[in-house]
Amino acid sequence: MSEAMAHKRPTLLNAFIYGFIVLWLVLAAVPFLWTVWGSFKVEADFFSRESWWNAIFGTATIRETGAAFTGDGYYGAWITRDFWKAAFNTIIVTICVTSISLTLGTLGGYALARSGKNYAFWILIAALVFRAMPHITLVSGYLLPFFQLNIWGVLPTSIIVLVAINQPFTLWMLHSFFLSIPKDLDESAMVDGCTRFQAFRLVIMPVMWPGVVTTGLFSFLLGYNDFAVTAMLLSADNQTMVPKISSFLGSIQETGNVMFAVAAVVSATVPLFILVLFFQRQIVSGLTAGAVKG
Amino acid sequence: MAQIRLKNVSKRWNKFIGVDNFNLDIADQEFLVLLGPSGCGKTTTMRMIAGLEDITEGEIWIGDRMVNKLEPKDRDISMVFQSYGLYPNMTVYENIRFPLKVRKVPKEQHHERVMAASKMVELDDFLERRPAALSGGQRQRVALARAIVREPNAFLMDEPLSNLDAKLRVSTRAQIKNLHHTLKRTTVYVTHDQIEAMTLADRVVVMNKGVVQQVGTPMEIYDRPANTFVASFIGSPAMNLVSGSIENGVFSSDGIRIEGLPHRASGAVTLGFRAEDATLAEANGQIEAPIYTVELLGEATMLSMRVAGELVSIKVGKDYRAEIGELARIAIPASACHIFDQSTGARIEA
Repeated sequence: MSEAMAHKRPTLLNAFIYGFIVLWLVLAAVPFLWTVWGSFKVEADFFSRESWWNAIFGTATIRETGAAFTGDGYYGAWITRDFWKAAFNTIIVTICVTSISLTLGTLGGYALARSGKNYAFWILIAALVFRAMPHITLVSGYLLPFFQLNIWGVLPTSIIVLVAINQPFTLWMLHSFFLSIPKDLDESAMVDGCTRFQAFRLVIMPVMWPGVVTTGLFSFLLGYNDFAVTAMLLSADNQTMVPKISSFLGSIQETGNVMFAVAAVVSATVPLFILVLFFQRQIVSGLTAGAVKG
Repeated sequence: MAQIRLKNVSKRWNKFIGVDNFNLDIADQEFLVLLGPSGCGKTTTMRMIAGLEDITEGEIWIGDRMVNKLEPKDRDISMVFQSYGLYPNMTVYENIRFPLKVRKVPKEQHHERVMAASKMVELDDFLERRPAALSGGQRQRVALARAIVREPNAFLMDEPLSNLDAKLRVSTRAQIKNLHHTLKRTTVYVTHDQIEAMTLADRVVVMNKGVVQQVGTPMEIYDRPANTFVASFIGSPAMNLVSGSIENGVFSSDGIRIEGLPHRASGAVTLGFRAEDATLAEANGQIEAPIYTVELLGEATMLSMRVAGELVSIKVGKDYRAEIGELARIAIPASACHIFDQSTGARIEA
């Protein structure tokens, strides 16, 4: 049927529509594909001053390594410069941030959604204010106390700060998911013999999964992609991936470092693709349907 | 054994009064219906019995326990919600079994009791489905089965039929009546539908604006309404109410004159009579007025005419035909009349 409709449209309009889609695809995908391709070249090709065709054909790469593709960037980043350690730190940070924010967020969001008291509204407004603040404001305020307490530079500190930044958002999001679940469900569970907490655990949470997965993904991305907090609060040995990549770029006295950064960027992006592909159904249903209609 | 006793129960939200000073003893095994228009406090009353709403003032007793401070789960009641409140992630079987599971009823009894409950509401064929795959009537039966599976002391039902279509409502209503007869549990049933109240109840409580208007058997409420609110709420069509004055047992107003009424009342009153108590008069009727409309109902014909500024309905034989504007004479026996105080609306007894 859609084909029949496409035939009815004027050719010019069709051309415009498909042209726009192609343009959009190019704008969205090419920078990333370009980076993936370039990460297997040497710096002289990928950042060539002679011609950008060098990045495609790998002229300098063939000259330097004997083949059109090289894994030198990856080897340098992961092995020589300990990117694996940064990746490991990122895993710790994101898992902790996600699980702590989700635990507090589901409990708090449920309480706020069901409370009916006036202050619940003001708590949510306060949360919105903190959500709106740039992350860096929290970090600069924390720096001195963290130095004084001697907890600067370690992972738990930045996990706590990231949770603090993320919590208002998870609270809001889960709160609205809980609102979409009819109150009758809690109430029939409580009459059926549950305590308030059992009703939450046995009846409400099973219905909430799409919401939890969606919120969890956003929390994960915040922890994974954060630069402001981790760059300021972590010492060089404890860096996560994003500040580590930034440090590859920053020290240009060593050759090949830029290529380490490119390789690291690609390494850091691949897990995101896999994650989104894996959870896409839950995310979409979470974003569109709210949760479950009674 | 579970009588439910409400002593001076009130519910207030800040200044808004939801339920005002509710007093009632519900006998063991009684089927009690709380009836009233929306916002009259009937659901709030039931939710206070269930423990889903805090009680501002007063006491609620179930059996010999005061339950004011008890959690819903400790009150040994079960409830059917208007929107069913089924657990969407569980099958029908799991839904019905849920109360047994959370109350730690021994596992070996589960299957037998779930099957017994589902058989009672004729759900046997749907046990493996999820609520989303059921029709409204089937969902309501799952909710019923979930309520009866535990065999609690009392059932609470909050407008259980209002989401069903008319035909299903009649059959589910019969099913509820039969369940009550079989299980012999105290049942409190909330509805705004007076037919449901009349057909199901042992006793009806009519409420309006948080205040109990009348408590009585369906026939008492129908035959001797305590005030004009009850009179106009019960019956279809509603009782005709005409304002006028009464002197020495004679009520008169514009287009209506009835003699032989009790002498106790005098002055400005409201007179009430039901459409089916009036008949066509041969010669001198109590009402003489032009016909406003003629409606054919099939089993009867409904006439309406304007009397003392009000439209009154008269039910006459199914073969009666008349033109709009024709003069009709209507006889109303004095014994079928109800007299209410015009300012308070309260019934004036003969």
